[in-house]
Amino acid sequence: MNRTQTHRQHPPNAKSTHDTMVDGHVTIAELEKEYESGDERTTAIEDFSVTVPSGEFLGVVGPSGCGKSTLLYLVAGFLEQTTGTIAVDGDPIDGPGTDRGVVFQDYALFPWRTVMGNVTYGLEEKGVGKEERRATAQRFIDMMDLDGFEDKYPKELSGGMKQRVALARTLAYDPKILLMDEPFGALDQPLRESLQDHLIDIWRELEKTVIFITHDVEEAVYLSERVLIMTRHPGTKKTTVDIELDRTQPREELVLSDEYTATKNDVWQSLREETTPGGEH
Amino acid sequence: MDVTRTVGLDRNDVIAAAKSIYSLVLLLLLWEFVAQYDMVHSYFLPPLSDVLATFYELTASGTMLEHAYLTFRRAMAGLLLACLLGIVVGVLAARNRIMGWFWDPVIEVGYPVPVIALVPVFMFWFGTGDLPKIMLVVVGCFWPVAINARNATREVDENLVWSARMMGTSDRRLLRRVVVPAAAPGIISGVQIALPIALIVTFVFEMVAGGGGLGHLEIQGVRSFESAQVYASLIAIMIVGFTLDRGLRYLRGRLLAWT
Repeated sequence: MNRTQTHRQHPPNAKSTHDTMVDGHVTIAELEKEYESGDERTTAIEDFSVTVPSGEFLGVVGPSGCGKSTLLYLVAGFLEQTTGTIAVDGDPIDGPGTDRGVVFQDYALFPWRTVMGNVTYGLEEKGVGKEERRATAQRFIDMMDLDGFEDKYPKELSGGMKQRVALARTLAYDPKILLMDEPFGALDQPLRESLQDHLIDIWRELEKTVIFITHDVEEAVYLSERVLIMTRHPGTKKTTVDIELDRTQPREELVLSDEYTATKNDVWQSLREETTPGGEH
Repeated sequence: MDVTRTVGLDRNDVIAAAKSIYSLVLLLLLWEFVAQYDMVHSYFLPPLSDVLATFYELTASGTMLEHAYLTFRRAMAGLLLACLLGIVVGVLAARNRIMGWFWDPVIEVGYPVPVIALVPVFMFWFGTGDLPKIMLVVVGCFWPVAINARNATREVDENLVWSARMMGTSDRRLLRRVVVPAAAPGIISGVQIALPIALIVTFVFEMVAGGGGLGHLEIQGVRSFESAQVYASLIAIMIVGFTLDRGLRYLRGRLLAWT
């Protein structure tokens, strides 16, 4: 595949060393989220603390309904926590901000805008001039192998292409942190795998902090440097597992390696305790 | 070689066009036949050919266009005003809690009121000129526009709003940048529903209050026992309505090419 990235600018944060002082460092402390409907109160997230150093790829897995998405939307600033703090680079967040970019499972593209129009949106809001806007957008469109589709509307694209547009749209305005909510969940296996590899390349190249929500253990282990496992309702951090894999090998070898299988089993077992009725919770 | 091709028409297009209107042609022929053979008294139903002749006379003398323009102007002025008000109120009622509290019950009660019942009231208050007619069109068209704008706005995918906010769109710009474009299909449907209401209200008001217009022309025909004029006016209002509806559909297609 031809990815033309001739004039790619490096993001401001220097070579990723997971330094907790540089850009894109997320601290979540004693987070709690309660939903109220009438007299009923439901606790979605409870006693949740984690630090995501700058440049880390953190996978989050948990049983369905454990509040994974709620967690992500809290970090995005779409929802407001009941108690606790979420800070980016030491500053508590106040609503959504351009330092964080969400990639939704259902893409959430603007249907009235073309591919180009979607990707330039964030740059328009930043006040970037037209020429530069198009040039930057084109770079990410090319990076996502979408060249030739600039003038198409979302309805004319397949699911995999829509998700690539959504990723290009988020990358184009250059948030430090990518928040991904099961972005490949609706895609079939081969497409998902190709997008996963694509995402790893992009993450390495652009040095973003990534929080990646998924219910798929294999996906979490394959992509992440660290996997966070959430407990069943109410969601809280059960444990985190460091993933140490030799990433130089190609996917087909990596997935057959002993480390991969062992790590995957660790995560799977830990998650299984949460999904089996009569488990700890 | 098929000659119709030279003007960009396929033979299939011609056949399709013929198929789509043959039922109308049959009905019109039936009308002519029934009237010509005096199966209905010509006072009640003059032959179509007489009606068309009268239509032609009125058009050639400029009378028809004059009246059609009056009706068109009143209906369009009212519809445009109603769209402006209805879209603003509908969108705000859906996005703003205080506006919602105020407008939701008003819309629910106002929507089903038969607006024609207000013709005498408006004559009583504002007389018989253009103003009461346009105002009543506004009142009639406001409800479908507002209710459709409100519902379409309510149904805007929250993820789109969130997407815009994360990319730096301020609350103030959110409506213009995301909410209104996303709700546009529903908003335009409301306008399409309002169009015939605008014509009905104008037409009826003209029949009752006079002051020119196709409604006035028709009732004049009844009062002077000129039944051909009655039907000619009817044909004129049908043409106006059909043209406006097609125009609106065309506009919808242009604006919503992305749907």
